[in-house]
Amino acid sequence: MTGSFEMSKTALHRAFPVLNRRQLLAGAAGVSAAALLPVRAWAQDGRLNIRVYTEPDDFDPVDASGFGEALLYGAIYRNLIQYESGDDWSYRLDLADSIEQTSDTTIEFTLKEGQMWSDGYGEITAEDVAFTFERILDPEMNSRIKPDVGPLARVEVTGRYSGVFHFDEAFAPFWWIALPYLAGTIVCKAAIEEAGGRITTEVPPTVSGPYRVRELRPGERWVLERNADYTGDNPADYERLDIVYIGDEAAAEIALEAGDLDFTEVSPGSVGRLQGNPPAGTAMSMHPSLFYVWVGMNMEHPKFQDIRVRQALQYAINVNAIIEAAWYGVAEPSTGIIAPGLIGNRPESLIPPQGDPQRARELLAEAGVENLQVTLNVLNDVTFTTAAQVMQATMAQAGIELNIEVHESGSFWTLGVEADGDRWRDLEMIMNRFSMLPDPSYATAWFVTEQIGDWNWERFSDEEFDRLHREARSETDDARRDEMYRRAQDIMEESGAYRFITHGVTPNLFHDSTAPGTRPDGLPLAQYFRRA
Amino acid sequence: MSRFRHTLLGRLARDPLAVMAIVIIAALVVMAVFADLIAPHDYTAMHMTDRFAAPSAEFWLGTDNLGRDTFSRLLQGGRIALTVGLTAVIISGVIGLVLGMIAGFGPRWLDNALLFFFDTLRAYPTIILALALAALMPRGLTTVIVVVVITSFAEYGRVVRTQTLSLKHAEFILAERAMGASFGRIVFHHILPNVLGPFFILAAMNLPVVITIEAGMSFLGVGVPPGTPSWGATLKDGFDHIRQTPWLILAGGLPLILVTLGFTFLGEALRDQLDPKLRSGR
Repeated sequence: MTGSFEMSKTALHRAFPVLNRRQLLAGAAGVSAAALLPVRAWAQDGRLNIRVYTEPDDFDPVDASGFGEALLYGAIYRNLIQYESGDDWSYRLDLADSIEQTSDTTIEFTLKEGQMWSDGYGEITAEDVAFTFERILDPEMNSRIKPDVGPLARVEVTGRYSGVFHFDEAFAPFWWIALPYLAGTIVCKAAIEEAGGRITTEVPPTVSGPYRVRELRPGERWVLERNADYTGDNPADYERLDIVYIGDEAAAEIALEAGDLDFTEVSPGSVGRLQGNPPAGTAMSMHPSLFYVWVGMNMEHPKFQDIRVRQALQYAINVNAIIEAAWYGVAEPSTGIIAPGLIGNRPESLIPPQGDPQRARELLAEAGVENLQVTLNVLNDVTFTTAAQVMQATMAQAGIELNIEVHESGSFWTLGVEADGDRWRDLEMIMNRFSMLPDPSYATAWFVTEQIGDWNWERFSDEEFDRLHREARSETDDARRDEMYRRAQDIMEESGAYRFITHGVTPNLFHDSTAPGTRPDGLPLAQYFRRA
Repeated sequence: MSRFRHTLLGRLARDPLAVMAIVIIAALVVMAVFADLIAPHDYTAMHMTDRFAAPSAEFWLGTDNLGRDTFSRLLQGGRIALTVGLTAVIISGVIGLVLGMIAGFGPRWLDNALLFFFDTLRAYPTIILALALAALMPRGLTTVIVVVVITSFAEYGRVVRTQTLSLKHAEFILAERAMGASFGRIVFHHILPNVLGPFFILAAMNLPVVITIEAGMSFLGVGVPPGTPSWGATLKDGFDHIRQTPWLILAGGLPLILVTLGFTFLGEALRDQLDPKLRSGR
């Protein structure tokens, strides 16, 4: 026993010779230096880490529901046309060799030849294009992005590489909200039929974009790698691309400075500090946002069935105070859901941004309501929780007690969805933020009667609003469209169910070893990121 | 006077560790109870022009992201911490005491079942269990207390059971039984007083743990609602805005350190005085 111990001790010494003090210090210094290496190693070693605030969790584009998926699909799939990266809204041809509006109700396209699916699924053809859109239209698929394709009736395949979109009526937004975005993500007919009609695995059987999925780490990141089978003109510039899910902006900012991220949106509170003095090796950019933030009230909840109560809450909310506290004054109050610069933006809201606590009290008295207690549901995000606390203080001036319920992302985004349980019945107020595309119909689409229980959590229903949304989509006169969308937002505000807060801003922080590709509103387009 | 020297309080008064603990705890309790009188500002008042202010004559510990006085909020936070801590420790202590004595005195199958129950609860990491429970319940102080009780009563149960088991077979208990003492007399006159010593030591040691669980839950966003001035919420605000001001996170951490030190010292001092083995060894 002793002998074997001596033997193993000798072997141990041979493997790990005894270090003197000088060697130990040198070793420690070496380890410390190695520990610092990853800080500047990521983007430079062919690996890019982009932060996303909402985790992409739908494997099939037909189920896509938000920006997380848009970022992922932009990297692994292709569209007929894609948003161009830059400061102005424009698009470029991707799979399409040509595409044009041939009449109010038809769009003809021709595909580039020789564009391939990965993993031996062959060439991308007009059959794939038709299959993509017909799946969205299929009622059995119950696609959440069906509103994006509007009155699309069918896609006619006229040749191996050509086809025609047929609409029941004119639909101008198709160019901005469908073709280059989620609904326009072309999927492989053969692969999906082989998979039983829906992609249910995190690694899709085939992709067409510059990257492909290597693995999904739920709650953490999607790991992508260069797609060797890519045949387009925008090849991947990185060997590996990680889409990293970090909900909290402050945490993301720290992660970027620690070298775990190469690109992230940061909180408005950091703008003042970063603009003047960004951390070494980083740069900052600011973009006007299209997002819209609002406070909504569930009109079917017993507390909010009297319009005077809803209006009292509108008047009790001081938007200026919220923006000063939560957006550090770098954003502006919004007048509706359509941002400045877009058709339909209203010059001012019906209720002044500063609100009027006295008017709120009068409305509550008229409604015979005393000691009103309401619950506001917000995301667990410092901007929203700060805004909620300011609302709590300003609403107290109108005699309203506001309770704040904070939710993690996964819980929050199912609050008003009927398919995800019964919580929508008890839902009172929500502070919400929706992403937006450069067409006003993309904003109004989520508040029509048909969307109740899906995205319309206020359960707002108005015939005139629905009609305006429908008619404005097919209106080709911009001035007329502008008028219709303004009126639609008036109706929303008159209902009392909405208090519009802001469009915010998009401040991005990134390593200077990266040249980010972003939309004009600052949201990243992963496929356009390049090494600087 | 000499009689006082031999009482528990008298012995504690001669122990510097205990004196330090009592001073810290007394200061925290006084500040929490008289928070409204001591606080220089309304803890909800927002001074937007003074947000992220450093400590000054006006704001002794600076201000937070909404310009609220941090010192005034910490005083109110003390109320929350003590309310949660004392309520949770009392409830979980009583549950643990009753179940522990039942386990110690009951039939073997019941003892095994309760022991399995205690160990199952203790096997879960506290914060993970707290997060899971908090997700199922509405947010607020009551939920925090319920979560803390569920995560901590098993420890009392385990200690009380062990103590009861060892006392059950002690000679003086056997003698009582032989003399025909009733079950109630044995439990309430002999077992309970002997169990209370270790029980109080554990309670004193557990109080800062409970307060830290509350702070941890609030820090993670599943504790008290935003706007409530809990110490954990102040820490969270400090974390969120550490780039704007370091004072907030320091101020949020300070009372947690003090309360942990105070109650741990008290627990140590109580153990020194109540544990006969330790006393005889001195």
